[in-house]
Amino acid sequence: MSSDLERRLEGFLREAPEPGPEVGERALARALRALEVPARLPRRRLRAVAILAAAALVLLGLAAGSLAAAGALHVSFGHPRKHTTAPARTLTLPRGADGIAAVVDGRLSVVTRGGFRLQGLPVTAAALSPHALYVAAGIGDSLVAMKPDGRHAWSHAAGGKVVAIAWAPDGLRIAYVVKGESGLVLRTIWGNGTHDSVVDRAVRRVTPSWRADSLAFAYVGAGGRAIVHDVFHQKSMVVPGSSAAVSQVAFAPAGSRLSTGAGGKAVGWLDGAAAVVRGDEIVLTRAPLSVRLQPLRLGGPILSFEASGSTFAAVVGGHDPRIVAGTAKTFSPVLALPRGARVQAVVVS
Amino acid sequence: MRGAARGDPDAAAALFRRHWHDAWRAAYALTRRRALADDVAADAFERAFAALGRFDDRRPFAPWLHRIVANRALDLLRAERRLAYEEPLEPADLRPDHGSGDRGLLGAVADLTVERRVVVVLRYGVGMTPKEIAAALDLPVGTVNSRLARALEELREALEVEHVE
Repeated sequence: MSSDLERRLEGFLREAPEPGPEVGERALARALRALEVPARLPRRRLRAVAILAAAALVLLGLAAGSLAAAGALHVSFGHPRKHTTAPARTLTLPRGADGIAAVVDGRLSVVTRGGFRLQGLPVTAAALSPHALYVAAGIGDSLVAMKPDGRHAWSHAAGGKVVAIAWAPDGLRIAYVVKGESGLVLRTIWGNGTHDSVVDRAVRRVTPSWRADSLAFAYVGAGGRAIVHDVFHQKSMVVPGSSAAVSQVAFAPAGSRLSTGAGGKAVGWLDGAAAVVRGDEIVLTRAPLSVRLQPLRLGGPILSFEASGSTFAAVVGGHDPRIVAGTAKTFSPVLALPRGARVQAVVVS
Repeated sequence: MRGAARGDPDAAAALFRRHWHDAWRAAYALTRRRALADDVAADAFERAFAALGRFDDRRPFAPWLHRIVANRALDLLRAERRLAYEEPLEPADLRPDHGSGDRGLLGAVADLTVERRVVVVLRYGVGMTPKEIAAALDLPVGTVNSRLARALEELREALEVEHVE
């Protein structure tokens, strides 16, 4: 027999709010893309794609094997034996690194030296703290810090989706970008989740990069130029000579050299060297003796540099090129790759 | 439905528009947060459309879609709970103090445990039978019925307290 409560419950969902109109349009676009694959790819074309993909994987394996044998490069693509269906979602810890985190298709994967592994958590952005003690992630409209074993450390209501996060090398501060109602805002917060403050109310959706001394970080302003913010003096300065369309910034893991990427190319300034990446082409425009350039093609161009006594690599992959620089010990923690791209972990020994 | 399954984007868009609001509201009632509801409902449609070619078009689409919504929401909520050790990562948008009457009812449902909330939303919000819920959540029918009974008991108590206050 239906009670009064049950009769009330039968209509209770009508009291729920309406979804935002833009949310529906985005969801429809996603759903239609999911519909496209089986509907539009004829069987013969699917077979051709599969054969091409298999050939590419064989070539990739041969390239990685020969490089590893030469002792120059260690490449990890996860656990191919176990995860043949979704290799891009599984990470293998690079040799010498404390941890690695990656966000692929909105899902976070974390692996640390301590053996902790998180996989598949839906996030909007993520970054590991130094020594991989914590991972900061955008979940819903919050910035959340958790231990790599999943234990919750703190959460902070960000007032919008967190779209980019960078943890300072000393662990004391986090710079992050929030997409609020008024646009993209750059904020900083202490590593314990307190002292949140606004740095710039109009920025681009680019992950900030901290300088090795943790006293400054680079980001991209609304005008598209690279800006360095000094957290000690609370002053910002546009990087001299910066392009007006910077899409990425990356400080070197040692010293104070800054690399920026612009448009479809990445430009690195490292100890006086300038290298330009255009698609699969790598052009060295100014090369002092201390720089060694390796025009490798392994799911995307890879540059390796020796500078200030340390070796590090810049990886550019997929349709959304990114610079990822780091030594074996300070491997850049997060690769945010476009949909369908591989997660690549590269260490130059 | 058949047009959508054949890959006709207009038919698929019409199917989406017919079910989007209900799916989103169910996701919202389950997750209690707009941002999560956005993700859950969008994920559910993406998965449903990806599998549309294999779907038996003699069966109704809505229960199948809501089954995906419910399981997706449960996956996300369980992942959060595992990470947060039962601490909510962020406050719910939905609370009983949003008002009285059915607004209060919506809030009271939001305060149920996720296991009880999901059966209430599927039973009364979506209109599934206990047998359908059991199949959707891979639970025995008896478990669904007992969760429903306990949820109703809890809701009655919560609403009585609200009425007295």
